[in-house]
Amino acid sequence: MTSITSAQDRPVAALRTRGDNRARGGAPNHLISAGATPSETTAGTPQRNDPAGHARTVTLRIRRQDHPRSLPYWEQFRVRVSSGENVVSMLRKLRLDPVTSDGRRVGPVAFEHNCMEEVCGACAMLIDGRPRPSCSTLLSELGDLIQLEPLPKFPVVRDLMVDRARLFENLKRVRAWVRLDGAYDTHERAPRMSQKQWAADYLFSRCINCGVCAAACPQFPDGAGALEPQADGFVGPAALAQVRLLNAHPLGGYDKPDRLHAIMAEGGLSDCGNAQNCVRVCPKQIPLTSAIGELGRQTTVQVVKDLFGG
Amino acid sequence: MSSIDNPHFVLRRLHSLLGVVPVGAFLAFHLWENSQSRFGAEHFNTEVVDALSGLNYLPFIEIGLIALPLAFHAFYGLAIIGSGRPEPLRYGYTRNWLYWLQRVSGVGLLLFILMHVAMTRIAGLMDPAIHADLFGHMRAALSNPWVFGVYLVGLWLAVLHLSNGLATAAISWGLTASAAAQRRFGWVCLGLGLLLGVIGTHGLIGYLIAPTTGIA
Ligand code: HEM
Ligand code: SF4
Ligand code: FES
Repeated sequence: MTSITSAQDRPVAALRTRGDNRARGGAPNHLISAGATPSETTAGTPQRNDPAGHARTVTLRIRRQDHPRSLPYWEQFRVRVSSGENVVSMLRKLRLDPVTSDGRRVGPVAFEHNCMEEVCGACAMLIDGRPRPSCSTLLSELGDLIQLEPLPKFPVVRDLMVDRARLFENLKRVRAWVRLDGAYDTHERAPRMSQKQWAADYLFSRCINCGVCAAACPQFPDGAGALEPQADGFVGPAALAQVRLLNAHPLGGYDKPDRLHAIMAEGGLSDCGNAQNCVRVCPKQIPLTSAIGELGRQTTVQVVKDLFGG
Repeated sequence: MSSIDNPHFVLRRLHSLLGVVPVGAFLAFHLWENSQSRFGAEHFNTEVVDALSGLNYLPFIEIGLIALPLAFHAFYGLAIIGSGRPEPLRYGYTRNWLYWLQRVSGVGLLLFILMHVAMTRIAGLMDPAIHADLFGHMRAALSNPWVFGVYLVGLWLAVLHLSNGLATAAISWGLTASAAAQRRFGWVCLGLGLLLGVIGTHGLIGYLIAPTTGIA
């Protein structure tokens, strides 16, 4: 048991809105619960954060791994938390005093986080068996037993830290950028975009490259055992969504045929099996399956152009 | 250019296309023809079986338009199945279950179709008496509850595979681009699948309840 807040182990029931995982169907619980009161959001300071007695002790089961090539093992901890906390803040608490439930002092659990506001994508992991960013997963959505595992399909660096370099490799494979170098006709007005198109495109620009969609995709190859970042197999939903976004960009559109040809090769669009898990688990609610449908249409037109000219 | 120099995309689209036409179209036609079983042996053996056997260029149609496209779809389908790792229990969403069922039904269909072709078309080639009274042959076979059960499962697997395949093919080709359109068309495919399934079940039952000779 951790000694941090174990002084008064008060049982509390209140404010835990949801005992099990977030609802199937991907309702954005973290958005709903984001309306937490100020006192709840000052997590990490056990003395202050729980005047109303919303603290509780949770049991954490963590799948640990010391080294990329060593075998994983489970360890259990007990941590005193308040309902306004999230999984990252809980892990930070645990790091201060990493003592297992059976009283062994162990090395601190490695995990990654940066922004703490679901914009950097670093913190994704399997929480109670489902891939989610851990910073935006509030403990109020979780039960008293919380199971954490590294994000599947990516090589484990250590404990809950994975190497997500493959996501970047996949963005490079599909040419997910806008070329600015080179000579352009300066007599033309600056490119314009309608409000409607802007609003539609904006949805895709919110991708944080967290890898959650890839983890849930049955067609995304399991690279957990790979020591080098892989650059083959299905590129995954996020990279396809960026093709959708950049093809619609006024300058990015110049390279639309190149991007389409990139996703018409092995591991491209047609490796999608339409299981559509991606759109259900994406924390940013990116319309990934619409992107895939739109790219289906773009590649259909492209293959006609390729075969018959034009 | 990728689509010409690299055949990957064209092969995938060919797999999808062949599943719809001719294989899917043939399945619908085949279920329609067999739904006439309830009109009895005479009608079925002459109006359905003999009429089809009398088609000109029949071997080209059977091999070129049905067997080869199905063989390509099936073997490329097996390769596609090998590239995926379904997790229907972890992600219990309908579409994810359908993704898994599409693969399970594909493998089931491959086995069922081999058995079905062997005990009808091939058996008819081996033994002219079977071909002459295909109705009686099927009626005898389907009178065994086990055979009937296998046919019922095979039928509904085929119908599920086709109707779900139509929904995913529409996404692959970009017919249904938005999620809303995909959902709408999904309902259309469900309706179509139920209709084909009912027609097929009706056909199976027809073999058992129809008069042996004459028209009902
Ligand atoms: C009655 C016979 C069959 C019909 C009518 C049929 C029809 C279809 C259709 C229309 C699709 C949709 C293609 C797309 O999503 O773009 C499909 C997909 C598929 N079929 Fe078949 N099929 C049949 C038999 C088989 C067999 C025997 C297999 C062998 C294992 C098979 C394996 C698959 C697989 C794996 C897919 C999914 C492809 C993907 O997700 O990309 N099918 N089928
Ligand atoms: S599309 Fe969604 S789930 Fe996938 S990487 Fe981007 S933000 Fe994460
Ligand atoms: S810490 Fe940046 S997304 Fe979670």
